[in-house]
Amino acid sequence: MGKKKIKDKRLDRRTFLKVTGAAGVGVAASTFGVPLLLRAAPEPIRIGSVQPATGPLAVIGVGQRRGNQLAVDYINANGGIKSMGGAKLELLLGDSESKPEVGRSEADRLIREGAVVMTGPFQSGVALAISTLCEQRQVPFVMDVAALDKITAKGHKYTFRVFITVTGLLNGAVKYLKMVTETKKAMPKRAVVTNTADAFGKGMSGGFIKFLKKSGLPIEIVDRVQYPLGIHDLSAEVSRIKAAKPDILFPVSRPGDGIILTRELYKQRVELMGIYGPGSPGWYEPDVIKDLGKLIYYVMINVPWINPNSKVYQQANAAFLKAYKKYLDTNSAYAYTGVLVIADALERAGSTDPDKIVAALKKTHFANHPVVGGPVVFDEKGDNTGALTALIQVQPDPDLLKRVKIVAPKQFAQSDEIVFPAPQLWKR
Amino acid sequence: MDLSHVVQLVIQGILSGGVYGLIAVGLSLIFGVMGIINFAHGQMMVMGMYVSYWIFVLLGIDPYLSLAAVAAAIFVLGYFIQASVVNRILDYPEAMQVLPLVAVGLVLENTALLLWGPDHRSPQTALSLETTWIGPIMIDDSRLIAFALAILITVAIFVFLKKTDTGKRIRAASDNRMGALLVGINVNRINNAAFGLGAAATGAAGALLLPLMPVSPNMGHDFTLTAFIVVILGGMGNLMGALVGGLILGVAESTSTLFLPATLKQVVSFSILIVIMLFRPQGLFGGKK
Repeated sequence: MGKKKIKDKRLDRRTFLKVTGAAGVGVAASTFGVPLLLRAAPEPIRIGSVQPATGPLAVIGVGQRRGNQLAVDYINANGGIKSMGGAKLELLLGDSESKPEVGRSEADRLIREGAVVMTGPFQSGVALAISTLCEQRQVPFVMDVAALDKITAKGHKYTFRVFITVTGLLNGAVKYLKMVTETKKAMPKRAVVTNTADAFGKGMSGGFIKFLKKSGLPIEIVDRVQYPLGIHDLSAEVSRIKAAKPDILFPVSRPGDGIILTRELYKQRVELMGIYGPGSPGWYEPDVIKDLGKLIYYVMINVPWINPNSKVYQQANAAFLKAYKKYLDTNSAYAYTGVLVIADALERAGSTDPDKIVAALKKTHFANHPVVGGPVVFDEKGDNTGALTALIQVQPDPDLLKRVKIVAPKQFAQSDEIVFPAPQLWKR
Repeated sequence: MDLSHVVQLVIQGILSGGVYGLIAVGLSLIFGVMGIINFAHGQMMVMGMYVSYWIFVLLGIDPYLSLAAVAAAIFVLGYFIQASVVNRILDYPEAMQVLPLVAVGLVLENTALLLWGPDHRSPQTALSLETTWIGPIMIDDSRLIAFALAILITVAIFVFLKKTDTGKRIRAASDNRMGALLVGINVNRINNAAFGLGAAATGAAGALLLPLMPVSPNMGHDFTLTAFIVVILGGMGNLMGALVGGLILGVAESTSTLFLPATLKQVVSFSILIVIMLFRPQGLFGGKK
């Protein structure tokens, strides 16, 4: 798991002696009038990263860490923070174990070890805990991924978010649905919402139903089928979906159930105009694309996404691929963006003073990032006004990895064509 | 509520129930012979799925064709577990027999995690999308084959236990361990074979399930519990009871979606368990107490 690259940076005796020794020499050198050039290089600037590196979200957490680290390496390779004498960045690692209370104590430890800015933490629950802590300790907290609206609703001065909010996500889902149905002049009338019965699944699908009603689209939700997380068989659920006779399906899934659902829809010959995911995993992972083959074609998902056309993404992806033999996915790309935004603020602040960093963050206008969206600009709550979702559609392509295509917004699109209504699953 | 929908659910329930039955037959056999509850049962099934997955991906052999090889591999695994762990704990108090087997389950689950990673894997096999239609009723071919093979394997195990010498020895050891020892049966070896056979049945069930659901390392627990409910329903140690119990549970889970949200599926199975425990603790068909 890349252990050589990412080490736990607890301060041990040897490092302590080295650092203090070096500092001592530096102090001595400066007091005894040794020429400036011989002084020790500027102290590294420490960024604390708390991610769910173990526990059920470990796959994502490790990816997030790697995203953070890759951006730190990039900044350091390009001369560090120039306004601070080329000071290098150093990433301190914390592991939330996918639990809020652990996330908080890990963040606390990193701050004690000298982190001047915090980033992370993927889960909203952990973000709430760290946000409160950072407010107490007066340490700026730039969240790379965490979506719950209420994290930034408390008016915390030190909390900023690069990721999109749940409201932003749902707005995107309805906006793109409107766009697709209007441009293709095909309006589904009956819809079934399916979701896993965990906090995310219930919250996301419940929110989507509300937003859809407010949107004025003439789509009636005729049934909502909820099933437990980690289900192995959806045949009875799909029979129920079929009995509801929907025109379109809005699934909120988790990795694993997308495959069962699609195959069962095929077997039971459920006639649909298409499958439109308001925003959930289970549809765009390379394994899913490979296992489902033709059946996954034309599925549309509204999701925060990478911007594969950007130079930053291409460069970061190449580095990521080289270091970890995996493609830079959305989450890791947001983790990468988080550190770039911090480095940009540090550059303009020219200091590690928390209030100067916050002042710089408030003036952020950062366009050179690897994800779909406008320049990162923080509003008064600390939310990124440039954050956007993309609409992706799986389209036929001989190369498995190129099947997921951005179809909206226009300026990021990889394919001009949106296929809707889609051919029935068994007629492909 | 439309009639074809109900018929559809009943058929799906019966077909899934056959496979539940096969998983439970293994558990029931192990309990019947050794009086031990195999808490690693679901994980052994998952191992069966992975072996079958491996054979399919690496050699391109369909899970139905590699069924015997998968069962043999899991037989060896079961034989080994019995010889190395279970034989040593046979005389321990029941509570102390639970932990080593839970531990075996954890070891198997994490071995799978190490070997295949946490991803859900679901390769498309030749028949995994094939269906047969009778009017508006759909019959899933891979489910039907799984059902038929599950019944066949159960009957085969039944005949094996009744007719062959080894089968008779297993039954003798199950009936009266001391008596079996006295007439010269090597009970430890018979136990190994019985555990292996139970494991092979669940491994075969795993192979039959591969075309139907994605495999991931942590899915074992759910199936241990399902098998447990089925065995209690049919009667501990009663093989035919396990098969019928599987069918009942399959149909109950499937048709429950007519009246209840699907999130309550598990409530249905566990309610059945509680009712049986209260009113007929020996199970529908009786069994060992």
